[in-house]
Amino acid sequence: MAEIDAAGRSTREVNAAIRKLIAEAGTDITVLNPGARHNLAVAILSGVRIRIAGSAGYYCGGLGDGASIEIEGSAGWGLAESMLSGTIRVHGGAGSGTAAALRNGTVVVHGDAAARLGVSMKGGEVIVAGNCGYMAGFMAQKGTLIVCGDAGEAFADSMYATVCYVGGKIASLGTDAVLSPMDPGDSERLDATLSAYLPAELRRTKPAAADFKKVVAGRKLWNFDNREWRIWREAL
Amino acid sequence: MCGIVGYFNKTGAENPPLGKILLCMLNALACRGPDSAGVALFGTPRTNQLIARVKLGNNGGSAERTRKIESLARRFGAQEFAQNGAYLRFTFQENSDLTPFLSSIESAAPDVEVVSVGRRLEIVKQVGSPSRLEQSFCISGFQGGHGIGHTRLSTESVVDLSHSQPFWGHGYSDLAIVHNGHITNYHQLRRRYQEHGVRFYTENDSEVVAIFLADKLRQGVTLRAALESMITDLDGSFSCLVATESALALVKDPFSFKPLLYTETPGFVAVATEEIAIRAAIPGDYNVREAQAKEVQVWQR
Repeated sequence: MAEIDAAGRSTREVNAAIRKLIAEAGTDITVLNPGARHNLAVAILSGVRIRIAGSAGYYCGGLGDGASIEIEGSAGWGLAESMLSGTIRVHGGAGSGTAAALRNGTVVVHGDAAARLGVSMKGGEVIVAGNCGYMAGFMAQKGTLIVCGDAGEAFADSMYATVCYVGGKIASLGTDAVLSPMDPGDSERLDATLSAYLPAELRRTKPAAADFKKVVAGRKLWNFDNREWRIWREAL
Repeated sequence: MCGIVGYFNKTGAENPPLGKILLCMLNALACRGPDSAGVALFGTPRTNQLIARVKLGNNGGSAERTRKIESLARRFGAQEFAQNGAYLRFTFQENSDLTPFLSSIESAAPDVEVVSVGRRLEIVKQVGSPSRLEQSFCISGFQGGHGIGHTRLSTESVVDLSHSQPFWGHGYSDLAIVHNGHITNYHQLRRRYQEHGVRFYTENDSEVVAIFLADKLRQGVTLRAALESMITDLDGSFSCLVATESALALVKDPFSFKPLLYTETPGFVAVATEEIAIRAAIPGDYNVREAQAKEVQVWQR
């Protein structure tokens, strides 16, 4: 395992050092003293493991393809934005726009996520052990969005085919978001996902998979029909 | 952009290195806005006395003007006069109604402005980066229990001392705010206050936040309720920090347009636009979380 001390180095130098280590050794990497700086480990295109020993700022792990990144503190805005594949785990909370436009891979937040979680996600899995802020899942297209705690206002607004599960209360559903019954298949898949990605001590404190609420698109906005002008006016 | 910071020591100690902490946080956020920088510092409370900080004029004033303001201030029991840059600082006799004092001092010239008044509050702000603020006023030596700071990227009004932040809740002692965002119904609110005779000193939309809160607190509304009414009455984006003689508070708009993160430990509360500022100023093991949309937090001494 290799270590990179970020103290006293520019972010550009830190990211260059990460790339150099991947190219030369391909070993696991620990970034020490990250100091919540922005753009750490952005666009890493290989299956390396990176441990951030502290907090990360904006856009950590964004545009990545295959890396497994663990952030031991919290993360700022745009965590894992547009990630193509890989796993990002943050032990603390995550800022607004977490997993926005996610293409694939898995994003796990042990704490809370702020506003606009998983907006426009196009695949992959987002798992938040805590609560999420308002407008999570807005215009999300594919993939799975799981919130074990409470969800903020306008949840799953104007969605396409993303499937959402919420363990706690939903402040309000967004336009065209509807509750759908949990069938045994849902519970099984959800339980398997939570067991696979959440540490056992965190999993124990969360609701059982069968008690989650499932939210999907009501499909009223999928096709424009001028007889439904009222729905559109409300949505736009 | 803009960067805002806040620090609140919970231990009750008289001499935390407030200036040093706020300056370190502001320096870490300086890239968010280099146009102007300022801090609102809350030091040891005065007994039966208020501290005033007066802007002498747009061009820094003259010796003659300083003498004139000093003689006006002496009618209110002023003493301990000290001039630094564009500011005259002095203490005067405590009075629940500041109106006679303010109109007297500000009658000296149209560009004279009382920048802050309080038993503890001192606002120091000027054009330029946080590092220049330190060069001019040595704020890193200031000790106190809590305070807020701002580094500005100007978007809608001119860059000068008066348009810099923090803003004092003009006329309400020991109330200061910093604001990151843009209040879109600012003209409407401003007109409403002007109809009631409130004077505005700038074209900066953030000034109305301070006036709004001063108005609410004067009506006897609690600080928390006043912040909650900002969420319904103000449009646009705002991540705000508010400091009074005994409290630090934060409020975020319903859309969560602007970032604002905070940490609370048994010893202190620290708030900033980016976590990088908190980590730079305060070493140690603590969790930082982002405030949610519509979130209000009040830390009271």
